[in-house]
Amino acid sequence: MKAVKNSSFKKWLSWQGTLAMVVLMSGMLAACGGNGGQANSNSTGAAAGATQETTTSQPSEQPVSEKPAPPSGKVVVYTAGPEGLATKIREGFEAKYGITVEQFDGTTGKVLGRLEAEKGNPVADVVVLASWPSAMAMKAEGWTQGYPEAANADKLQEGWLDADSHLFGYSASALGITYNTKLVSEPPTDWSDLTDPKWKGVVNIPDPSLSGSALDFISGYLNDKGDGGWDFFQELKANGVAMSGANKEALDPVITGAKSVVMSGVDYMAYSAKAKGEPVDIVYPASGTVINPRAAMIMKTSPNLDNARLFIDYLLSDEAQSLVTGAYLLPGRADIKADNRVNTDEIKLLNYDWNWMSEQGEEISAKFLEMFK
Amino acid sequence: MKNLYRGGGLRLPAFSWRLQLGLILLGLLIVVPLIMVLLRSVMPDGRLDALAPLKVMSDPGLFTIFWNSIALGGWVVLGSTLLALPMAFLSARTTIGRHAWLDVVLIIPFMTPPYIGSMGWILFMQRRGFSEQILPMTSHITPYFFSLFGMVAIMSLHLFPFLYLILRNSLMRIGGSLEEAGSVHGGNFFYLLRRVIVPLLLGSYVMGALLVFVKTIAEFGTPATFGRQIGYYVLTSEIHRFTSSWPIDFGKATSLASILLGACLLFWYVQTIISRRYQYKTLGGKGMRLRIAPLKGWRAIAGWGYVLLLLLFSIGVPYFSIIATSLQKLRGDGLAWGNVTLAHYAELLSPGSKGWQALSNSLGLAALAATAAVLIGTFLVLQMGNFKKISQRSLDLFSLLPNTVPGIVIVVGLILFWNAPWMPVKIYNTYTMVVLTYVVFFLPYSVQYIKASASQIDGNLLQAGKVFGAKPFYLFRRIMLPLLIPGVLAGWMMTFTISARELVASLMVLPPSMQVSATYIFSQFEQGEVSLGMAMAVVSVGMTTLVLVVMNQLGADRK
Repeated sequence: MKAVKNSSFKKWLSWQGTLAMVVLMSGMLAACGGNGGQANSNSTGAAAGATQETTTSQPSEQPVSEKPAPPSGKVVVYTAGPEGLATKIREGFEAKYGITVEQFDGTTGKVLGRLEAEKGNPVADVVVLASWPSAMAMKAEGWTQGYPEAANADKLQEGWLDADSHLFGYSASALGITYNTKLVSEPPTDWSDLTDPKWKGVVNIPDPSLSGSALDFISGYLNDKGDGGWDFFQELKANGVAMSGANKEALDPVITGAKSVVMSGVDYMAYSAKAKGEPVDIVYPASGTVINPRAAMIMKTSPNLDNARLFIDYLLSDEAQSLVTGAYLLPGRADIKADNRVNTDEIKLLNYDWNWMSEQGEEISAKFLEMFK
Repeated sequence: MKNLYRGGGLRLPAFSWRLQLGLILLGLLIVVPLIMVLLRSVMPDGRLDALAPLKVMSDPGLFTIFWNSIALGGWVVLGSTLLALPMAFLSARTTIGRHAWLDVVLIIPFMTPPYIGSMGWILFMQRRGFSEQILPMTSHITPYFFSLFGMVAIMSLHLFPFLYLILRNSLMRIGGSLEEAGSVHGGNFFYLLRRVIVPLLLGSYVMGALLVFVKTIAEFGTPATFGRQIGYYVLTSEIHRFTSSWPIDFGKATSLASILLGACLLFWYVQTIISRRYQYKTLGGKGMRLRIAPLKGWRAIAGWGYVLLLLLFSIGVPYFSIIATSLQKLRGDGLAWGNVTLAHYAELLSPGSKGWQALSNSLGLAALAATAAVLIGTFLVLQMGNFKKISQRSLDLFSLLPNTVPGIVIVVGLILFWNAPWMPVKIYNTYTMVVLTYVVFFLPYSVQYIKASASQIDGNLLQAGKVFGAKPFYLFRRIMLPLLIPGVLAGWMMTFTISARELVASLMVLPPSMQVSATYIFSQFEQGEVSLGMAMAVVSVGMTTLVLVVMNQLGADRK
């Protein structure tokens, strides 16, 4: 009993000190935790940022569009994109239209996962995936709606817009072989080189369940080679090719030198790392590769349909297309050329059919995971 | 433990409707979501099928995953025992124990979020990683680290402080007199060890070991980073995969979650049985005297050598990698003085940047969650009264439940419940949902701290108040509340620090446009700049550790 009283006395003493701490802490919170406080008052739905930024809407900069732009509101975008580009597009769109963009940045797998999890209460307006076949699968399942009036849609590369204008390939990446220039003096020239014992244990491949583009390469390769293609992946596995997360996770060890090569990695990451000064470079395999347009689409359940359409228009505008090339991606419009990278018409392609890839995607992904796990 | 509280007389007039309110609150927050997980797993397609979770297990792939979790738990218990036991002896029985700063330092590994720690280890041990750059000859050893052994080592180094604190405290409670009594009766050292010390330690060891076991199988960070790299998949990482990555399979996720839940509850049950059997009264009325062995000569060298090695591996290596990476200009250029830059910190701390927003979101959400948790916690503790009624005891039990249940299971349950099509209150995908999840996760901490304060209030104080004619509310305001405040504050701080670095809940329930520091770091590893992620890690760990150190200095968390 004595001990108990004694410690309670100590606590009594110490709580005054603790109180001082709390006062100090709350001061700190007031200084830098402004966002959180706002979140509370606004907890019923809209993001805290919404109220701030909608007030800066600029009606004078209205675009040429049949529909009068709504004065305010929001658009919810789920995007699997390079984060830097997605942020720039969001900021550009917000500045131009005064509409707040609520954005979820993830990988293709995570975006699809989130959509599936929210099937009961869908909130997304626009979805951008890094995998064209996955987008086709979404369209086939009736998730999307068409927007034939989209501005500049006629200027897209051939095949980067589907027949009834559901999917807009506003940008694209090509898949190549990225290597560490400090470690590799003779880079591989084709996919088949990577089964050579010379490359044992030093090659990464992104996880197709997380990286839509890696899945496109795998299914495109299988489409080109037929079922014999699986033997190639079996040989790769036997040669110690490691499956490692999303694109960046696969590339990072190559930058630091833990691995020498990443196969079927997206090329824009290699270009931007190279531009930063990291010791990496990329080759496109001689037998051909896959270029996967990144598909933007409007959800059928889109709660803010007008804003969603404006967002698609914006993606195809000159302004957004120049943001795309600035991020080392291939521009979606055929009339715009990138000057900081290899262009679409200079890359040799495998012989593949998006429909086949879209149908087989899930099965291929599962089989590949089983093989490489 | 409960016996202690029963004596404390909080005899506010018993308003049963308040008790009921408390039960309903906990039911909605904790119990119903967990039941939703179980229900969903036994009704995968709308029909009742009690064997559905077992059918999932018959899938050989998923059984391997289950077995991986259990095996990992076992190995980590072994690993952290090997690390903690010598340290506990050194600290409780030798002069090393006089250095109080060791206790603070030894908590650092545990306070380091595991996803950051294991990323540090990966960067250190990988080919051409920091270890090879410092000591090129280690290149022969490092590849072996990327195996189950490495994963066990990382997790043991993270969790051993738990076991260390528990073992040290119970070693200190075994007074020297018991051992001397043994010696007097002619027992030699090993006999004493076998017949006195080991049995007395066993009860608390089992408690600590099971805590470590449950923490290991519930852990998400290390499997999500290191485990994925070596292809070692466990229940938590697969649940996350099935719920957040295409192709989604909620049925499988809930089945795995139920299995994980079942395993944890089973192990807790075993633990209570064992520790009840090995409970001895070591705290007597007699004065306590500890036998402290002075360390001299080679013993001192060995003892301090062990301490330093332990600190080197548990703190030195991961933090070296984290800090070095956060300062690198070009990751491809490795360790070099010319390659050092503060640019990542500058970017992170420039107001308005994504990192800055994530950081302030973290602090704001953590503050809200901590405030809500202590308010609810205080309310609940007041209703627990003297723990005599079953309803009062179940209030206690339910409020501590989230400590037993793996976080990822709770999150799955909360999502199922709050995102159900029939749910009238639409808070899913809003800030409220995040705060709610944090509150549910960390309510046990608030309840425990406040309960500890409440148990020390003597019922006489309230009776005295009543004698002088005070109304119940006045009693509460002028007597109860001031006496509860130390516990409330300790609970607030604890909840604040751990909410600010919570990963798994944040990953799964944050609304689309929002990031907190933990998800920011994680997404930098996945998508962006590892250096930027590490800079954020340094800032957020630094801040939370600072809070804890100050708290420790003030003695607010001394039991």
